[in-house]
Amino acid sequence: MAGLANVFGYGAMTNHQNDIRNSRSIMIIGMNPAENHPISMQHILTAKETNRAVIISVDPRFTKTSAFANKYVRIRSGTDVAFVYGLINIILAKGWEDKQFVQDRTYGFEEFKGEIAKYDPKTVSDITGVPVAELEWVAKAMADNRPGTVIWAMGGTQHSHGTGIVRTFCHLQMVLGNMGKPGGGTDVFRGHDSIQGVTDIGGGPETLPGYYGIGETAWKHWAKVWDVPYEWLLSRFKNKTMMEKPGFTVARWYEGVLLDSKQLGQDVNIKAVMFWGHSTNSMQQMDRVKKALEKVELIVDVDPYVTNTAVLPDRKDGIYLLPAASNYEQWNSSVNTNRDNQYRQRVVAPVWEARTDIAIMVDLAERFGFRKQFTHNMKGGWRGIPKDVKGVKEFSQQTMDDVLREINAGALSIGYAGATPERLKRQQEWAHVFDIKTKKAVGGPVDGESWGLPWPCWTDKHPGTPILYRNDIPASEGGCGFRASWGPKAPDGRNLMAAEGSAPPGGPNAGYPAQKDYATDLTLGAIKQALAEGRSPYGNGRARFNSWNIPDPLPIHREPIHSPRPDLIVKWPTYDDVKEHYRVPQPYKSMQKADWVKKYPMILTTGRVVEFEGGAAGERNSPWLVELNPEMYVEMHPKVAHDHGLRHGDMCWIETPEDMDAKPSRIQVKVKVTKRVGPDTVFLPIHWGGVFEGKSLAHKFPDGTVPYAIGESANTVTTYGYDRLTQMQETKTTLCRIVKA
Amino acid sequence: MSQAQVTIPYRQADGPQGKKEPARMKFYIDVKRCIECGGCEVACKNENNVPPGIARIRVVTINEGEPGETNVAIPCMHCSKAPCVAVCPVDALFHRPDGIVALNKETCIGCGYCLYACPFGAPQFPKGSPFGSRGVMDKCTYCAGGPEVAFSERERRLYGSNRIAEGKLPACASVCATKALIAGDAEEVANVVRQRVAARGAGGGAWGWDAAYGKGF
Repeated sequence: MAGLANVFGYGAMTNHQNDIRNSRSIMIIGMNPAENHPISMQHILTAKETNRAVIISVDPRFTKTSAFANKYVRIRSGTDVAFVYGLINIILAKGWEDKQFVQDRTYGFEEFKGEIAKYDPKTVSDITGVPVAELEWVAKAMADNRPGTVIWAMGGTQHSHGTGIVRTFCHLQMVLGNMGKPGGGTDVFRGHDSIQGVTDIGGGPETLPGYYGIGETAWKHWAKVWDVPYEWLLSRFKNKTMMEKPGFTVARWYEGVLLDSKQLGQDVNIKAVMFWGHSTNSMQQMDRVKKALEKVELIVDVDPYVTNTAVLPDRKDGIYLLPAASNYEQWNSSVNTNRDNQYRQRVVAPVWEARTDIAIMVDLAERFGFRKQFTHNMKGGWRGIPKDVKGVKEFSQQTMDDVLREINAGALSIGYAGATPERLKRQQEWAHVFDIKTKKAVGGPVDGESWGLPWPCWTDKHPGTPILYRNDIPASEGGCGFRASWGPKAPDGRNLMAAEGSAPPGGPNAGYPAQKDYATDLTLGAIKQALAEGRSPYGNGRARFNSWNIPDPLPIHREPIHSPRPDLIVKWPTYDDVKEHYRVPQPYKSMQKADWVKKYPMILTTGRVVEFEGGAAGERNSPWLVELNPEMYVEMHPKVAHDHGLRHGDMCWIETPEDMDAKPSRIQVKVKVTKRVGPDTVFLPIHWGGVFEGKSLAHKFPDGTVPYAIGESANTVTTYGYDRLTQMQETKTTLCRIVKA
Repeated sequence: MSQAQVTIPYRQADGPQGKKEPARMKFYIDVKRCIECGGCEVACKNENNVPPGIARIRVVTINEGEPGETNVAIPCMHCSKAPCVAVCPVDALFHRPDGIVALNKETCIGCGYCLYACPFGAPQFPKGSPFGSRGVMDKCTYCAGGPEVAFSERERRLYGSNRIAEGKLPACASVCATKALIAGDAEEVANVVRQRVAARGAGGGAWGWDAAYGKGF
């Protein structure tokens, strides 16, 4: 997300899944939609059938998606930057780039070309393992078949230079001129229900809701929305510095428990941890997570199921499980990968002792003594909450609507104002009038609206923006240029405003800066004025090849921390060590050791399977799903299996480098012999939990709550490695060795 | 309950004799679309409360992990000339007027002839033993229950749900992520398939086309 935001302005998928029906080429890189986004395959396969779209699957693994591709390219895990640069190198050499687009709507192409020159096809072939002929085939297919889309997911982001990888995907689309048009775009598929919504409302530790950051301006803006004094918010923190300092991330919070407090970006260690619908078996270096869970004073796990978190640590007390209601037991709205808001009705009242998330939150706020401030905002209080909330299982629908109205009122930077509960409920009733290809409503009271009012949906009259950065339609109908986030001029003095003639029709026919105060004027006056004058409120800027304000302004290939190529580590090393990043030290070069590969010769990559999701606490409690995929396994090429004396169904140990600990991390898993992986790579699915280093933890579950399937967690053996910008975990590339059990 | 009383769907348009004809219910599995997500298998089990070990529908993958990998979901295909119906010694298997091959579990003697006759592996048996006792056969009902009073407790227990009597499609086809598994009246199904084949052009994705006529167009 940070990669996208630093190129285009918004950290979100630019087009939508239905729009893939308009694509003529589809590059799926670092993602397996047939397993992880099965419904999206409907659109991908329709494009293949009706447009003869060329599908290119780039992956270390021949996935179920690859089976549907016109071209499968096997790439070494973690070499995406080099691969894409190789494509761009060929495209530029042949003159296939969209010169008009590059000239009118981008910044920094000259220095970008200089960087690209280093990645000639032969060099790229050596780094990625992809033959030159295949690179040429893919480059030509993408150039010949426009518009085309590039789709990725965690295979692109879960690397120590993931932000760089994501930015190169964007750059490929900029070079091809595929941005801001139906059938084009950079379509990153988000992996969970409402994960886009969670990011939007400030799930990350570096921002308040709506990507305002956590500086004083941001706090003051939200203080106004919440109708609480800024000073009161400040008084909740130790001091102003801590108030404005990004916190720990989900990727490395446990170091805040384990490391000496002198090494941390705060005075004391973390003493308590609260999980709210998050699993521990999806966290890298789970053996360290386990140690942290044993050291903290308090663990609270809010979940409908007894998760891996509850059984992982060896401790007898201090773990509290709060039974949360599922999404079917509460009214809520979600934002999916398309940036679509959807209203969801409650199906049944919370069963058994389960309570809705909001009931748990308000009850906690009450006990902490700030219930009034928590449930209050500039529009009044949340309605429908009883005076005494102790033990109350759910509030009325009105409460959820009021929460959404609060987001509508405050998250103006990304245009949440228009997605009101009234409009979402009306769309739900009129779902049948929306076109499957454009998501646009035809007739009825929702006429002209886009399904889900995808943000930015500037006002309650705006139809939403299904395709970002599309400048061939007026701003009032969802048109916009690239976001003018970095002012009118770059530090080097070059222009950052779009060129003359490149702007949404109906307004100034050139680039322009953002409307003053559009994100903070709570009356919506600024936004409305911009729209009335035919301008996009956030301006009309340029997409950046050169992101001067982040590490690697031009993305460069960097070998994974655990690389199988000592020779390439010398030429393409990882970053220098970072003293503090999200409050913890983040070493790079000192962790990248050339001789790991001697002891650990195989590349290890991880991923999801279709039956399960994330930590799969829910799915492994479903007998039907478990029947389809009952056991944890490792995918291994026949040659690898036979060289290790293993047969299909045998047990083996997977062991990974002892980078943070004295001994190797290890798990015992069953061998699945398959040609999905090449002879240099093994693959582990991530979903199992309840077994640790060969020992079952089943006895630790409360009576009657052991899932139908337990197994070793892949993340017990994933190793150190985190993104330079976002701290995303590097679970897609490490090294391992196989030992017969 | 007699077969004539079974609730069956009828076609909208009048037939050649000027009277409404029963629909002819069919499955079609588009191998160019099935992604082996298993949604059909799970929906079937959940809808009909099918016990572990019994698969009324299953997705089979051939050439896994290699070019040419192909998936196909296989329920009971409800054949027009059904070999299982032909070999059943006690007439426990029969055609409903809408073409669904139905099963009477109380007549079935568990002989297993249908298992040998069926080319799709549709008949399922709850147990196996060295002496051949298999238990009463179970198979895909097209989510049309069985020869009992529709929606009765007895029907639910023996056969599962009766979505056809509710005017719905089978659960598996309803949830199919890519619309690879399509169900309904043969005429409707044929329309969908015809459109897809036309869009795909030469070969239309027919199984074996490339082998017979070469690749590409």
